Amino acid sequence: MSMLYAALALVLTLVPRAWGTDIGIDTARGESFVLPPDLLEILNAPGDDGAPIIGAEERGYFNALPDHAKRQTAEAVSRELITTPQHLGEILSLGLASEKLERLMQDNCVLCHSNPDVHEGATLFSTDPTGVGSPAHMNLAEVVEDLHSRHGLSCAGCHGGDPAGFMDHDFPEEWPEDADIRKKDRSWIPQFCGRCHSNAAFMRRFNPALPTDQLAKYGASQHGRFLLDKKDSRAAQCVSCHGVHGIQGPNSPRSKVYPKNIPETCGACHASAEIMAGLTLADGSPMPTDQLDKYRDSVHGRALLERGDIGAAVCNDCHGNHAAMPPGVTSVGQICRTCHAGNGTLFDGSKHKEVFDRNGWPECGMCHGNHAISKTDDTMVGIGENSLCTGCHAQYAKHNPNCNETAAYFHDSIVELNHALETFEVRAERLAEKGLDVDLIADELNRLADLVKQARSYVHSFDSSDFRQVEDPGREVVRKMERLAEDAEDEYRARRTGLLVSVFLIGSVALFLYLKLRRMERPS
Amino acid sequence: MNTAGSCRGRQGWLDRRYDITPLIEFLRHKEVPLGAHSMVWYYLGGTTLFFFSVQIATGILLLMYYQPGEATAHESIRYITTKVPFGWLIRSVHCWSAHLMILSLLVHMFSTMMLKAYRPPRELTWISGFVLFALTLGFGFSGYLLPWNELAFFATVVGTDSVKSLPLIGHWLLEVLRGGQDVTINTLYRFFALHVVILPMSCFGLIGLHLLFVQRQGMAAPVGADHAPRGMKFFPNFAIRDLLLWLICLLALLVLAVFVPYGPTIPGMEWELGQKANPLAPAYPGIKPEWYFLWIYQLLKEFPPHLVGLEGPQVCILLVSVLMAVWALTPWLDREAQRNQDSPVFTDFGVALIFFFTFLMLKAWDIGALGGGQDPASLRAIAWTCGWWMLAIAVVVTAVRVLFLGDRWLVLSAAAVLHVVLHGIVGLSYLSAGAIAAGLAALPLAARLKSGVQPVVGGGAR
Amino acid sequence: MSGSNGANEHTRRGFLDILLGLSVFGSLGSVVYPVLRYLTPLPAGGPAGPATLTRDEVAALERKQFVIIPVGGKRVLVVQDADQNLHALAARCTHEGCTVQYVPGEAVIWCACHNARFDLDGRVLAGPPPKPLPKYTAERAEDGSIRVVRENV
Repeated sequence: MSMLYAALALVLTLVPRAWGTDIGIDTARGESFVLPPDLLEILNAPGDDGAPIIGAEERGYFNALPDHAKRQTAEAVSRELITTPQHLGEILSLGLASEKLERLMQDNCVLCHSNPDVHEGATLFSTDPTGVGSPAHMNLAEVVEDLHSRHGLSCAGCHGGDPAGFMDHDFPEEWPEDADIRKKDRSWIPQFCGRCHSNAAFMRRFNPALPTDQLAKYGASQHGRFLLDKKDSRAAQCVSCHGVHGIQGPNSPRSKVYPKNIPETCGACHASAEIMAGLTLADGSPMPTDQLDKYRDSVHGRALLERGDIGAAVCNDCHGNHAAMPPGVTSVGQICRTCHAGNGTLFDGSKHKEVFDRNGWPECGMCHGNHAISKTDDTMVGIGENSLCTGCHAQYAKHNPNCNETAAYFHDSIVELNHALETFEVRAERLAEKGLDVDLIADELNRLADLVKQARSYVHSFDSSDFRQVEDPGREVVRKMERLAEDAEDEYRARRTGLLVSVFLIGSVALFLYLKLRRMERPS
Repeated sequence: MNTAGSCRGRQGWLDRRYDITPLIEFLRHKEVPLGAHSMVWYYLGGTTLFFFSVQIATGILLLMYYQPGEATAHESIRYITTKVPFGWLIRSVHCWSAHLMILSLLVHMFSTMMLKAYRPPRELTWISGFVLFALTLGFGFSGYLLPWNELAFFATVVGTDSVKSLPLIGHWLLEVLRGGQDVTINTLYRFFALHVVILPMSCFGLIGLHLLFVQRQGMAAPVGADHAPRGMKFFPNFAIRDLLLWLICLLALLVLAVFVPYGPTIPGMEWELGQKANPLAPAYPGIKPEWYFLWIYQLLKEFPPHLVGLEGPQVCILLVSVLMAVWALTPWLDREAQRNQDSPVFTDFGVALIFFFTFLMLKAWDIGALGGGQDPASLRAIAWTCGWWMLAIAVVVTAVRVLFLGDRWLVLSAAAVLHVVLHGIVGLSYLSAGAIAAGLAALPLAARLKSGVQPVVGGGAR
Repeated sequence: MSGSNGANEHTRRGFLDILLGLSVFGSLGSVVYPVLRYLTPLPAGGPAGPATLTRDEVAALERKQFVIIPVGGKRVLVVQDADQNLHALAARCTHEGCTVQYVPGEAVIWCACHNARFDLDGRVLAGPPPKPLPKYTAERAEDGSIRVVRENV
């Protein structure tokens, strides 16, 4: 009898699980939300081939959503914001986390503007905008992740209106109504963004740490002067660098102003001959468009773009971002010093500083360049063919023998120490293979490697006595390594000699033993 | 000097206390048979013993400075090789002698096998020798870990992992060997105990037994000539020759220790101290166990994850166990040798095994690999290259056997060569090729075993 | 075999035996020498001084009036007497090498093994030790740390 009751109980618990199972979608997790028929109709609507338009992956994703998200989706369908299976399928294909989906389902603006039944072209959001004839900035995937949107300032924040409302297109005054004007003359954009972003009181609500002086800086910048004073709409404004619908904070790798993406963002205009046509530098020469290429090949470019080192200098580090100006010749050196402090201090104490400043020459850039800064080479210093010293010194201070002497001294010194480093590395390896202890030599090699790096840095003192501070310890280390290596080689020779003695002795035993054996076994 | 010596000098003194005269007489009359085969084979047991003694001596010396422990194992070996006077020499000799001992042991084992020295009454000598072989491999395996460097660490991980395929006791044994689930410093402690106490004591006992049997029964004469027409006196003639060989072995050890202190840099024969083991680091690419384990390492790789309802590695272990059992029971399986007759079946079996192990070893060394990969294309290339090399070796060996040694029954070794050809050159999988070769060899083998007594053919007696 | 040949034979055999013996001796030496060198321990490591007392050691000194510290591989007894003066002596009793200790109540250094007694200058007061304890120099620095310097020669 108890068995029967048990069986009955089992059956009864199973039955509710079977309820709510509808064609194609099941709520087998025992959840209470039952999908309404209009939603079900869209979910299961078949295409031309008989299979449902909404694919298996999207259905699986929808199935796994919590109750509340499904409820919101049903709401959106019932309010006819989602009317077609293609529309719902596209939204589901975003694969958003449930909370993001719920937020989206309450954003009437985006829902309506992503519905291909209602909108098209410039007002339609799509996961593939150019594919459906929409401009690139109408990307649905980007706009649902937009930074402003995450702060609750979705469409209404800029365009006005009420996301919970309907068909309320109430544009604020600063937004030029005429689409032609809006697109041709972009000078309205900075103060449009500035409405909020230069209002400290307003910004405090959202991010108190964010500066609010961008608009002021921009006004004083080269881009700002071009756009606002000369009304040249080629000039960059907020949207050019930050984007419009998919704005991300500069620390996000998806942001157009993330360090790795900055060269491309700046290069979009500055590497384009058409856009830069007619512009000139301060001295009248045409504006170059090769900075991006040069940068990509440079040390900083490779560090950033190939090795992903976001500490490497990039366009805005030297040029500024909102206050972007071609840097004054003497000011770039200061920026180099933010990372290359040691060399900067050495330079400041050197004879070159006063001379360079007097002549208005760029301090670091004179030898290292600006965009095409390449990896340094020991041939850059000295009196050889590639050397940078002779380039100037043939012309300036050419009667001062000290200069060439110092240059040659630097070069020879560094080359010698480096050579010692390489030779001793090889020698140590060979000694290690022979079974000798090379730990001490390895320590000295490390020390020498450091000293060689320091020596290359001390070139910037342009003074022999300063340089000796590094060269002398270097030579001391080389002498020490020589002694250690010789000791090790002596040890090896001693081992070989010892072996020879042993071989001789043991060999003689073997020989005499053999002779004795022969004698013992002689027939007589 | 021919008197019984019971009154003379030292012998007399000892004799009165212990009665050593019978022993002296026995040793005086001990002989090494001179027969149809070379004397060389009789020395190999002695060289193995010599290398073992060197291991004991250098091992004791190393033990004075070595400290097992997380912070001291690697460091103490570093101290020995760099700071201790002649420490480098002791350690180098210890490493070289280990490998030379195993080499010598293998040649000794195979030569006694080929020469049928296991015939009655020497079965127990064979069995004790087989156990010594296993113990020696244990020595090698346990000693390898003691420097606690990266290479040894990962080789131990791979090596101990294979025991978990043993049925019933596999996982328990794995944990007992490793002192835990993974290889840690606890593994080192256990291996140290194994290497320094357990295995030496067992070896002393078994070597004593082995030598006792050899002394009692005398050295085995060649097949068919139980009472050799002549023999060489052991003392002093053979003994001096033995000593001479040992001196040459010692010289070889010393030369190798000075000029090649870290091994010949063949994978499985390199003992540079290297980096200290870090259990958290990812596995060392291209690790290989020591050369004498390469064959089973490779064999395990040839098996698929599942086979005939069992796990692949288990089938492999099963197969290897059967092989080992046949090898150990050879004295009882080899009827013809028992009757003191030529036993070409078992000779050929020995050669077939040599081919089998060699091919696996060549493959394990990735000879012929494409760019060091383990992808199917590279594996095929390895099998191809090793196949051709193995074929060349087999042809030479077989030619020598047929032309100079008069061997005629070549079924098993031919099957081994067929296996190599089918797998390496034709391209079948290792197991399918093996199955075909074994299948083809089964009938002639069965027929031969059944027919039993065969007249001596050609100049086969060796 | 003629007699002279036999005699030559004998000397040649003897000569060979001598050579054999010499070379055996020599090669034994070439084996034994490395082993003996190997077994001989290297001189004890560690700096010969000066050694600065750690905080724990200073605390022990305050508590018990004495502390034993390693200096250059040797044991050194550092004592703070009733007048707050520092003394440092080798802690190894010159009799059989046991480690000595300080008895504050009697202001005397005492060795428990055979009841030897030394004064704070290391002189033997009683017991079997044949020689006084070697002296070290202990100094108190401005910052309160205590250094013990190599033994006085």
